[in-house]
Amino acid sequence: MHPQLQLLVALQDMDEMLRETEEQGEEFEGLGFKHGGLEELKKAREELASKIDPSLASWYRRLTGKFGHAVVPVVGNLCTGCFANIPSSFVSKTNVNKVQKCESCGRLLYWP
Amino acid sequence: MDIAEVLKHTSPDLFIPDLEASDKTAALAGLVEGLITGTNIQNPDTILQMLQSRENLGSTAVGPGIAFPHGRTLAVQRLTILIARCPAGVDFDSEDGDPTKLFFMLIAPPQDTGHQYIKSLAALIDCIQDADLREKLLAAGDYESFCAAMTEG
Repeated sequence: MHPQLQLLVALQDMDEMLRETEEQGEEFEGLGFKHGGLEELKKAREELASKIDPSLASWYRRLTGKFGHAVVPVVGNLCTGCFANIPSSFVSKTNVNKVQKCESCGRLLYWP
Repeated sequence: MDIAEVLKHTSPDLFIPDLEASDKTAALAGLVEGLITGTNIQNPDTILQMLQSRENLGSTAVGPGIAFPHGRTLAVQRLTILIARCPAGVDFDSEDGDPTKLFFMLIAPPQDTGHQYIKSLAALIDCIQDADLREKLLAAGDYESFCAAMTEG
C-alpha cells in the first residue's frame, strides 16, 4: 500500500473513533469503558495528519465534509462509496506508486 | 442481542487458547496476528494502530480479568470477533490492576451502521458478569466447549 494511503486510512480510523466517542461515548461508558485519553487522542490525530501530503490532506477534508468518509474500500471492482466500476488498470493491490481516486466520485480507494 | 448471534461473528480459526504475552503491546500484537492468521484480512499494521489508539483513549480491560479490545477500521469488511485466553495473565491496564486472562476482540468496518459491534460488546459484557461462567471459559478444553459454555450461560 502507498505510504500516504496507509496514513490516510489510519487517519480515517482515528476520526471514526473520535466521532464515535463524541456521539456514543455515554453508551460505551455505560458498558464500563472510560475515555480519559480523549485529548491525547486528538493530539495524536493532529500529529498523524501533519504527516500527510498537504494536497491529499486537503482532498481528504473536502471529501469527508461532503461524504462523511473520504477513503472507501474497493470490493468486487466497485467503489463502495458510489458503486462505480473501477477500471481494471486500477485494480491492483500491488499498485504502490500513487494514491488512487475513484474517477466517478473522487473518493480515495483502498483495497482491503 | 442473543449471545449465539454474537458468536456467529467468530470461528474456531479465531480462537487462541493459549496466548503468550509479556505486556500489553505484545498481547495486542498477538491478537492481531491471530486475526490475520484466522481470516483473509490483511493490513495488520492498520488494525494494530487502531487498537493502540483505542487503548490510549482508555483501557478496554473493563471486566474481572477480561478485556474487550475493539474498534472500527477500513481493514475489515464485516464484524469479526477473535477470542483469546492468556492463562498466565497479562497486565492490560485494568482498573482493578488484576492481570487479564480472557480477551474478546471485536473489529468492525466503518459502515457497520446497525452498530452490530456495540450490541455484541454489550451482550458479551452482560454474559461475562457470571463468575462461574468465567471459570468455565478459562477451563474449556476447546472452542466448541468454550462456545457451549457461553450459550448455556
